[in-house]
Amino acid sequence: MTETRMYPGTGKDERTTFAPYSAFDIPQDLRELHGRYDVETTARRVRNFRYAEEWMMMMLGGWLATVPEVPVKTGLGKIIWEGARAADEFGKRLPELRCGKRAAESSEAGNQAFADFIQEVAAPETPDLSIEKLAGVFDVLKPHLLGLYERHMRETDQIADAPTIEILEDIARKTERHIAWGHEVLDRLCDTDAKRQRRHARQRELTELLEKSGGVTGELALDH
Amino acid sequence: MKRFIEHQELARDRRFIRQANIAADLLATMPDDVNAVVDLFEKIGPVIEAGTRGTAAEPLYDRFGPAFTLMTLNEPIRPGEPGTEDRLKMRMHGIYVGELQALEGAGRSLWDFPDAPWEFKMNMARQCWDEARHVQIFEKLLEHVGGEVGMYAESTFLFEAACADDPALRVAGVNRALEGLACDVFRDNIEFAKQSDDELMEQSMDYVLADELTHVRFGSEWVAEFCKDDPERLKRARDFRRETDRRFNFGGARSNEEGAAIPIAWEDRKFAGFTEEELEDLAALGGEGPSRATMKQAIEILVSRFQAGSAIDEEVAS
Ligand SMILES: [Fe+2]
Ligand SMILES: [Fe+2]
Repeated sequence: MTETRMYPGTGKDERTTFAPYSAFDIPQDLRELHGRYDVETTARRVRNFRYAEEWMMMMLGGWLATVPEVPVKTGLGKIIWEGARAADEFGKRLPELRCGKRAAESSEAGNQAFADFIQEVAAPETPDLSIEKLAGVFDVLKPHLLGLYERHMRETDQIADAPTIEILEDIARKTERHIAWGHEVLDRLCDTDAKRQRRHARQRELTELLEKSGGVTGELALDH
Repeated sequence: MKRFIEHQELARDRRFIRQANIAADLLATMPDDVNAVVDLFEKIGPVIEAGTRGTAAEPLYDRFGPAFTLMTLNEPIRPGEPGTEDRLKMRMHGIYVGELQALEGAGRSLWDFPDAPWEFKMNMARQCWDEARHVQIFEKLLEHVGGEVGMYAESTFLFEAACADDPALRVAGVNRALEGLACDVFRDNIEFAKQSDDELMEQSMDYVLADELTHVRFGSEWVAEFCKDDPERLKRARDFRRETDRRFNFGGARSNEEGAAIPIAWEDRKFAGFTEEELEDLAALGGEGPSRATMKQAIEILVSRFQAGSAIDEEVAS
């Protein structure tokens, strides 16, 4: 009952001599179909990720004027651009996930509590609050996002949702670099116990809020 | 974090000295009259002096008095001429702080207008990175000409003049007026670098100019987009840009006239979306206010009066 495989451009009796697979030493595809997220769920998560990246680069933009340290201003310039590109890439994935053409520009908070959390991260404004500003983004928000990006890459369908994985791989790599930069800056800024204390206090306060909100997708509690 | 900040809120580290730039503002409304310019600069002398104290401009003030700002603005910078070294440092420092303010302006456009179209945010985010690189480039170019950050006072009048609460006016002010001024200054400086065989400066500035043209184009396109169904708003954006440009002419130092200190980069600006009509208008604006000859005369009077006054002071003291 096995029919010989035909290749495009060959006639019915013109059979290829190539064996379909075994003649080449190609490793077997060990990936399994089916992942934790269906199309709709992935689309929603991508909108949630986009929301976080978009707001993060906007708040960093606002802070450029009110952080006094010039190397922080210039370092943030590039992170803002990479954040905008991350949001843009997430957006471009949405029409591919059956959300319609116009969805490319849509962001959506996981829930109202996460939207409130973002505003809390963005709250510090005076020049003496660089530690609070940077701790919110580089100690709390970005590490949280990185964790979820990695998780999505691990748990989604490896073949069917590979385009999302490809986008996440690039964004996760850059996010890691951003976090390393932010930590280096924070380590330098926090050169006394009192300042280190401020950093930890901010970190604790925001982590608590973040956990209460359910995180960027609003379902942190369910995920555990 | 609130939306919209004042220029006084721009944060700086302790290398920077802030100075109010009343000279450029007042020059924007000056008539073409020697006595008026002399009177004005004698009146604001103490403010100019205060801005030089503790900076590398202090000896220049001590020697020439309040006219030194006009001397640095009014004449083109040519290699090998007296004072070129100081003026070049001043210009590089001025550009450096201008880039910082452009960076801050682009960043604020991201925060101040959260409902703006996505493409607008992408453009502003890109501009943040570009301006951040420009700050880094000009820090190096400033060192290259023997200067350092903080050696002169910073006036934040670029940010003050160009930032508005309406995004159409903001891009008209920041992306067309401020960035347009940057194009004029960079084109002039590229010529200077060529004349001085300074390839390092020529090449890096040429890259910066390419970026600035892109930023002007962002401005040209977004003013058109924001105002497409609203002729009233378009008029407001145009008037705002004109008013900002008037202040950026520094009393005619930037103009299309022969031998202008900062010539208008006509071709570059056309490439970035300025129409011939807008450029004619800009040139006409540059022709308003005191002429170069008026300024030259005013400078001579101011310097001789200042030096005579200093001589009397010294006599009295001795
Ligand atoms: Fe620039
Ligand atoms: Fe620019």
